Amino acid sequence: MPFDASLDGHRIDRLVHVSLVFMIVLLAVMIGWMVYACLRHGRRHAATCDDGNSHRAKILPLGIAGFVLFIVDGNLLMNSTHDMEQIFWNFPRAEAHPEAVRIEVNAHQWAWDARYPGADGKFNTADDIVVLNDLRVPVNVPILFELSSVDVIHSFYLPSFRTKIDVVPGQLSKLWVQAQKTGEYEIGCAQHCGVNHYKMRGLLTVLPHEEFRDWAQEASAQSARAYDLADRTAHWGWDWK
Amino acid sequence: MTSTPGSFLAKYIFSTDHKVIAKQFLWVGFAFLLLGGTLAMLMRWQWAYPGARVPLVGDLLFSHSGGSISPATYTALFTMHGLIMVFWAITPILIGAFGNFCIPLLIGARDMVFPKLNLFSFWTFALSGVLVVAAFFAQLGPAAAGWTTYPPLSTNIGTPGWGQTLMVAALFVTGASTIMGAVNYITTIIVLRAPGMTYLRMPLTVWGLWLTSILNALFVPVLASAGLLLLLDRLLGTRFFIAGALGAPGAGDPVMFQHLFWIFGHPEVYILILPAWGIVGDLLSFFARKPAYWYRGTVLAMVLVTLLSGLVYGHHMYIAGISPLLGLGFEALTLSISVPAVILFANWLSTLWRGSIRFTVPMLFALGTVFVFGFGGVTGLLLGTISTDVVLHDTLYVVGHFHFTMAAATFLASLAAIYFWFPKMFGRTLDTRLGVIHFIGSLVLITLVFGGMLIAGYSGQQRRLFDPFQYTFLRHLAPLNRFTSYFAFALGATQLVFVVNLVRSLAFGQRAEANPWEVSTLEWTCAPSPPPHHNYETIPTVVRGPHEFSDPRVKVALGRDWLSQTEEFPAQAASGEFRPS
Repeated sequence: MPFDASLDGHRIDRLVHVSLVFMIVLLAVMIGWMVYACLRHGRRHAATCDDGNSHRAKILPLGIAGFVLFIVDGNLLMNSTHDMEQIFWNFPRAEAHPEAVRIEVNAHQWAWDARYPGADGKFNTADDIVVLNDLRVPVNVPILFELSSVDVIHSFYLPSFRTKIDVVPGQLSKLWVQAQKTGEYEIGCAQHCGVNHYKMRGLLTVLPHEEFRDWAQEASAQSARAYDLADRTAHWGWDWK
Repeated sequence: MTSTPGSFLAKYIFSTDHKVIAKQFLWVGFAFLLLGGTLAMLMRWQWAYPGARVPLVGDLLFSHSGGSISPATYTALFTMHGLIMVFWAITPILIGAFGNFCIPLLIGARDMVFPKLNLFSFWTFALSGVLVVAAFFAQLGPAAAGWTTYPPLSTNIGTPGWGQTLMVAALFVTGASTIMGAVNYITTIIVLRAPGMTYLRMPLTVWGLWLTSILNALFVPVLASAGLLLLLDRLLGTRFFIAGALGAPGAGDPVMFQHLFWIFGHPEVYILILPAWGIVGDLLSFFARKPAYWYRGTVLAMVLVTLLSGLVYGHHMYIAGISPLLGLGFEALTLSISVPAVILFANWLSTLWRGSIRFTVPMLFALGTVFVFGFGGVTGLLLGTISTDVVLHDTLYVVGHFHFTMAAATFLASLAAIYFWFPKMFGRTLDTRLGVIHFIGSLVLITLVFGGMLIAGYSGQQRRLFDPFQYTFLRHLAPLNRFTSYFAFALGATQLVFVVNLVRSLAFGQRAEANPWEVSTLEWTCAPSPPPHHNYETIPTVVRGPHEFSDPRVKVALGRDWLSQTEEFPAQAASGEFRPS
């Protein structure tokens, strides 16, 4: 799996790894069983006429099924539900953080437009920071995304944060992540969105706090200076929902 | 009994004989399999050497882009590969050919209950095949919106041109063909079973095909309606799926298409695999020379999967913005499919256990099917679970997973079926040595190819990327992709062994006896190879189940280890404590 820069990605990695162990055990049992039977119970072995209809015979299939259902599936379901409800779908907790950063993303063929509310904290105002494919965020605070698309379905994919979400025209998708390590991480498109789908690559740069603050202040001030009220297509933002 | 129809046209082209129609489906299915496989080879070339000139065929096929694959062509390649393989290769071979060939023969019927509907079903399918071929000649290229055909990309906004329209129309037409077939299969099995052929005496193959037909009859209409609405959007400017795009007002919803597509699409996975499961269940018993272990349990598991198949489609949409509660419900239902799946596996393996296994070519392919389906099954766990699916969704991990289940397992099971029923279909036998080479090459390489995709996806590689190495985090996967491609090319080349075997055996293969495999089902014990028009001179009367093997008392009385489904138990042994199943 790609490098994990996020606060919570390790929980998913751990669940994947535990499940991988289960998967390998199940496969090993299956293959071992099959290979052993093939080697030992070949043509020269006399077949026993067991139709497996006795109650005792059913213990084995039902026993393995029970093990898989309660142990393997149960582990997946419990952990996944916990992680989704407590972390990945827990937007109120992320929103409640006083320094949470909010970003609107407008996807189109084949790039990611992103908008920060700027110094006034409100979207669609003169001091909004607007960037293309080049997102910057501070480390160690929640980053909230609201995403939409103007043309076809895209999928906002952050491999180093163990998450992605489809971006659908006419809908608002939500996602939040928190970086634990500074650095440059790639944003990919995961949903086939046309000829240049493979080129729909962005960057998410995680900066130390002060650096992000300086960049945001400067960028917001520049935006306010360069603001053009008549450029209507530039006003694609929406009120944060 | 009617005589064999006279003219060539009535006998081979517009035939109502289920065995002829089966062969028609088989040949057309093979042709599309070859086409779909060729498209896969071109895609693999692109992933091994992105943008490089394609050797041998590049100048011929891609002259407008200097002999290499352009991004636009690439999107058409994977779209057409997926659609062709699912709807015009696996479906006609497993369901069209073997459904048609096996159902009447295995239940002791003279033909399908509606022979003319059967004829229409094939020719409707043939018409859809013409539309597919026509799409390749459309001006802006064939369909390019992915086999899932998600709007708005699949509307004129994303994919203008006749190619996409023709393919959506072809889907609708082939859907009509499938529904005709399904109605025919379901009814035939209900009303034309021979006397004594109770439901629980049917071979598992028939069970698989029957359940598949029920799913087809229920869910293909959903795909057809989604396709029809999409056609209206493309041709008449309606906005079922495109309102919302470009902020246009109206109530259209692109995600609605995904619901419709997957309400059909998830059962489709089982539509393709259920006949394979049935065939495997029978063959393992036949060649382990043992009764199928807990036959009723296997049937129950297949019925359970059929019931669950319509209730789990939401796991394809975990990241499409469905409500968390809905996601959790689908997750729990999806994971519960592991119960019938485990029962099937345990029963198959217990059937082998303490058997007297004959490693015939069909048996090898049946064992191979179990092997690859094992990979497909366990890798699905991480995709049924929401939090891990979010990471792996739309990566090659998904592609590897569904190729193990939908491609590898159905492909190997189809081959098992061909090697098994070929003597009955054509009256000749396929060569065993070539068959073994074909098996070993196919099994090893198919595992390496789709295993390579699983690893690439696990490492984060998205599917459907023209050049995956645009992303720096994927750059280290270039050697993996290249080696996977080499294995894929070798897998393609291995199939030539089969083509040689097929052609040679059709012409010169050893003449087949009535029952070369020494098994108990009706087509082998009550009809010559190949069976005449209308199969059975007199309708057989069935007295037992399909897996009557290795009963020691039969061995004593008859000197063989099997008993036909129509054979009464030998008198001298019947006086003992034997209880017929």
